Amino acid sequence: MDLINKYKVIIAIVLPILILILFRTCGANNFKSDAKKWAEPSFSKSNIVSGEQIRTMSGEKLIVNLGNEVSGIIGKATEEVYISPDSVLSKKYLNKIKDHEGPVLLFSPDLALSARIWMIISQMGCKNIYILTYNSDNEVFKNEFRPDTNAGPEF
Amino acid sequence: MNTREKFSAILLILGLILALLPLSANRILTMKPKKLLTEVLDEKTYLTVDQVARFIISEDNSVQLIDLRSPDEFSSFNIPGSINVPYYEFLDNDQDRVLNNGKTMNIFYSNGDFDSNYALVIARGLNYKKTYAMKGGLNEWFNTVMNSRFTGDRITARENSLFETRTRAKNLFTEINSLPDSLKLKFIESKRVAAKKLDGGCE
Repeated sequence: MDLINKYKVIIAIVLPILILILFRTCGANNFKSDAKKWAEPSFSKSNIVSGEQIRTMSGEKLIVNLGNEVSGIIGKATEEVYISPDSVLSKKYLNKIKDHEGPVLLFSPDLALSARIWMIISQMGCKNIYILTYNSDNEVFKNEFRPDTNAGPEF
Repeated sequence: MNTREKFSAILLILGLILALLPLSANRILTMKPKKLLTEVLDEKTYLTVDQVARFIISEDNSVQLIDLRSPDEFSSFNIPGSINVPYYEFLDNDQDRVLNNGKTMNIFYSNGDFDSNYALVIARGLNYKKTYAMKGGLNEWFNTVMNSRFTGDRITARENSLFETRTRAKNLFTEINSLPDSLKLKFIESKRVAAKKLDGGCE
């Protein structure tokens, strides 16, 4: 007690700062440090799965359907929940995603939406999150560009 | 303990706390998750290929296109005026430099929708507000702009304007990307100089 009294000024200044820093750093509902580490699966595209690939995944799958379109995935060891995109970070749904032990598959006909939600959830430290798509070659260029050697802009 | 000793002790403790925190060199998204979610769900963060086509034919210097594909893909062809920052290197780079300190309107694109939208979330999470993603990527660009055709007998004024924009963008895309690399650079530089002459200032 004498010690606390002796250093009360130091404790009074340092303790609130320490609590604030710990809260900011370790808060469960904040983004994790090292954004690159949590974005890593997106660099290698290992976060994208097709309907066929789901069959080879172990564990009970949770399909998070972000739209109204049916995912078409049925089978044992598969649970599907419909979540409006703006509610995906609500405590109820975020805990469901975080606490789920098997793979979590985000599904939406809008791949841009799935990509955005995936990045946000992953940056919050959730692992085992995938984007379910029937268009797994979305980032493959599907057209052909033929240069026109007769064309020439003015300089 | 006198005042100086107390002050020194406080600084020492704070220094130790900072030393134990995760390295600041590792980027962390600074925006709150719920706020970021609201932002990225806003339709205004998407740009259509027609909107991008209008920007490139107007040669708007306040717009910067960022091609997230590999260097090889970029050198084959790209949307005129783009810079190349491969997606897998985006977080290795200095985002302030890449995104022009947030002063320009930055538009990400890739072949499809994944990479551009990942980058969009990261950029917005780092508080770069003027960042957007081109919906559908280059696949959509080719389907809509490059393969644009007028069919039918009649056309409304709006359709005519859209067709004209697409045609001009297509022609510019083809002209620039058909040039040999050395001439491509010369063309881009000549445009930059011409834009500076209009704006004023020294070269």
